[in-house]
Amino acid sequence: MKKLLMACAVWSLAASTAWAEDVTLTMWTVANNAPEAVFAQEFSEMDNGIKIDVREIKFDDIIAETLRAFATKKNPDLISVDNPNHAAFAAAGAFLDLTSFVEASDQINMDNYFDGPRSSLTWDGKPYGIPRASNTIALYYNKDMFSAAGLDPDAPPSTWDELYDAAKKLTDPANDVYGIAFSAKASEEGTFQFLPWAQMAGGSFENINVPGAADALDLWKKLFDEGLTSPDTLTRGQWDSTGTFNGGNAAMAISGPWELKRMSGDAKFDWGVALLPGPSVDAPRASALGDFNIAVFSNTENAEAAFKFLEYQDSQVERLWPEFSRMPSHKGVALAPTGDAKIDAASAVFVEQLQFARNRGPHPKWPNISKAIQNAMQSALTGKQSSTDALAEAAAAIAKVK
Amino acid sequence: MMGMKRIYKNQLLFIVALFAVALYLFPLYWMYTTSLKTDTAIFAIPPQLLPSSPQWQTYIDVWNGSNIVRYMSNSVFIATGVTLVTVIFGSGASYVLARYRNVWIDISLFTVLMLQVLPPSLMVTPIFVAFASIGLLEYPRIATILAFSAKTMPFFVILCRAAFMTIPRELEEAALVDGNSRAGAFVMIVLPLARNGILVAALLIFMQGFGEYVYSASLISDNRLQPASIGMTNYLQPNIVTWNSIMAFAAIYITPILAAFVLLQRHIVNGLTSGALK
Amino acid sequence: MKACAKWIRDGIGFDALLIAMALTYLLAFAGLPLLYNIIISFQVVDMFSLNQLFHEFAGWDNYIEVFHDPAAAEVLWNTTLFTIVSVFFQFTLGFALALFFNQKFPGATWFRGLFLAGWVMPGLVVGVLWNWLLSGDFGVINWTLETLGIIGEPIFWRSDVDYSLISVILANIWYGVPFNMILLSVGLAGIPEDLYEAAALDGATALQKFTTITLPMMRSTIGAVIALGIIFTLQQFDLFAAITSGGPAGSSLVAQYWSWELSFRQFEFGRGAVIAVLMIVVVLGVTVFYVRSTRQETRL
Repeated sequence: MKKLLMACAVWSLAASTAWAEDVTLTMWTVANNAPEAVFAQEFSEMDNGIKIDVREIKFDDIIAETLRAFATKKNPDLISVDNPNHAAFAAAGAFLDLTSFVEASDQINMDNYFDGPRSSLTWDGKPYGIPRASNTIALYYNKDMFSAAGLDPDAPPSTWDELYDAAKKLTDPANDVYGIAFSAKASEEGTFQFLPWAQMAGGSFENINVPGAADALDLWKKLFDEGLTSPDTLTRGQWDSTGTFNGGNAAMAISGPWELKRMSGDAKFDWGVALLPGPSVDAPRASALGDFNIAVFSNTENAEAAFKFLEYQDSQVERLWPEFSRMPSHKGVALAPTGDAKIDAASAVFVEQLQFARNRGPHPKWPNISKAIQNAMQSALTGKQSSTDALAEAAAAIAKVK
Repeated sequence: MMGMKRIYKNQLLFIVALFAVALYLFPLYWMYTTSLKTDTAIFAIPPQLLPSSPQWQTYIDVWNGSNIVRYMSNSVFIATGVTLVTVIFGSGASYVLARYRNVWIDISLFTVLMLQVLPPSLMVTPIFVAFASIGLLEYPRIATILAFSAKTMPFFVILCRAAFMTIPRELEEAALVDGNSRAGAFVMIVLPLARNGILVAALLIFMQGFGEYVYSASLISDNRLQPASIGMTNYLQPNIVTWNSIMAFAAIYITPILAAFVLLQRHIVNGLTSGALK
Repeated sequence: MKACAKWIRDGIGFDALLIAMALTYLLAFAGLPLLYNIIISFQVVDMFSLNQLFHEFAGWDNYIEVFHDPAAAEVLWNTTLFTIVSVFFQFTLGFALALFFNQKFPGATWFRGLFLAGWVMPGLVVGVLWNWLLSGDFGVINWTLETLGIIGEPIFWRSDVDYSLISVILANIWYGVPFNMILLSVGLAGIPEDLYEAAALDGATALQKFTTITLPMMRSTIGAVIALGIIFTLQQFDLFAAITSGGPAGSSLVAQYWSWELSFRQFEFGRGAVIAVLMIVVVLGVTVFYVRSTRQETRL
């Protein structure tokens, strides 16, 4: 009798939740304060029988760890993956094709996303994840320094020539001020920063060896040679570089919206954000599309539960900007005013800049392509090769990537 | 006259030593200083040798925000395991390698050294795959201990072999004549005599285990079981680097071993140099 | 059965057992991974098949590709330079300090102990620390050198192709000196005092004592320290990861870092393994040198 009662109780419990028993999913991400990690925590605390364990893995290691884990079937159910790396997993069938789930979903509609983020997770016409958020880069500038140098603080540089002139005027070695800070690091960050310059000048990753791209590299080289940017730009990431801008040691900086929060606290001066300058006023605009996608692994035993989480993630889009300073990948989601005039002005520029953001790839061998671009960048900037030779070598290396 | 000269010489040597140590330990000093600076003071030119307004709050934030106690206890667990495995498997071998002098010993010594040629970063993939297939990854800290002990053992063997070399063979032979078995003589006579050398080598292995990173990063997927080296890299990610918190984390991480070390250093140095090891 | 037990308890079998324990352990946990690297170096391995031991056979293709890589010559040169310069300074500074602290002055043991502080630090922490010390614009090393008038302009240690390798070498020397010092101190402590007293009676100068007593008595220790120094230096990975990542433009790229980068940045596992195999060959030579140096040892 007692047994029967117990069985009844268990049965009714199971019926009231969607799952017969509690499911624990695992998700790997690069930061446990990232939106998906916070949402996963909330999702776990809901009464839905699904719990998500989040493991934090260093950005540099997450792909290698995932490959090892996937090879031995120790991979998580969910992963938050930097968008240029998405294609490799999708193409190899490591991620789950979400077509049927999306069709049945009331929450997720792939048409809600901007083209850029959507195509980064699409392979062979099928969706293999959802975008977490989108970001891109633009030009930060110190208005006080502009005024002091006799430049108009309301007319930031809009072409490469203007950028160079401004950098030159703003550089002040006596006070340890460089004209501009950015990142030409030999990592994905460097590719992320350089590729838009090549694209604005008519190049692309498939066609990197164009005269305009060489011009861009020559301009970068000039910034180094004339001391308008710190030599550490070659080895420093974007966050560190922008830190020097916040500290008043650089008058301009190229970076993304993830800087805004820290900058509004640290920067003791008036600053603004402008669209990335192009080779000429009428040149096509371009910038890099950044941020992560969230995908489900194809070998998960709990695809439905995992997709439930994706739906929750997707439903929280309105919170991305106010709580995490992340820009939604959804069309038509306005960025709510934050009350900080500088941040609000900046966010308008980033929203505009995002329109022109282009994907890196999608290509399953993106790391090899990116490496070729990094090599070209670094060997031109260190004077090892001329810009044209470096780009020719990169183009040859990219052509060999199958 | 000689006495005076000797005192002057000692004072001179003392001052030179003080200077050398200060120079050598400067990076450590800089770690502590940086950890106490504000975000802006960190990038100040010229650098502040002492923080103008020490930010103890950074320590409180790191302490509260990073699970550092849990990380540290995992580090201790792994370091202890590595030390035990290394000592258990390595001591006997070092004794044998010190006892004889023939071609087989040469080959063994050669193999021991040879097997630690590659850095862990290049060994971790096959180890991960093998451990996953035999189910060892279910016990990730044990897996890390087993993998890393293979890395520390050659070094331990070389240090301990030197310790065993100093033990006069006659003592062991006398024990054998008295009717002890080989095992008995080893346990009762040889091991106690080599105790200092083994302990010191073990302590050094413990410290290596405390700093282990590569295997833990790969083999331990559960955050709750990861050591402090992994905890620290969470402060090192692109876009989230803050030097003062990294340095504060590093300071909390290594201060206990540094403190233990400074307290024990006399025994360590004596154990290593007083002839127990050579 | 009984004979076997007796053989182990009382005979040479005891030695065989002890050594077999360690060797079996090492062969399993270090030997097999080495073997895996060798096998992989002859195969075409893609990102998603790491779990298989056998893939499409590639012959010498991976080797040929590595040798034809534009970076190969520079990596070979950098690795050689990094190893020789690091080991040379670790050894000479370590030896100088060992000799210095071997003089019995008050506090000598204490000071020597403090030097070991560098050694107990995790490589990762050392790397992060030196990265920060060597920073071009905000680094305290540049500031010190400028204040002392040694350099006129800041050196961009990590970003200047002429200095990037030197910056890792500097950090590596700092990290390795204590190890050399302590092992050499051990060797010095083992030289009988009466040898020096006898030499003093013969009127030998300090230099003569050093060359006729210290150096010959230290031969096996020196051999061991140098061999271990080379092996440890070839394994140094954390410092590269934390300070230069092999850059800029490959100017501080060394074999161990390149191998990792090929495998885990570009997922060219075959080529990464080729470099590992080449390193194995080099260490083979060093190990032979070490084993030979142990021949000079004397046992009490």
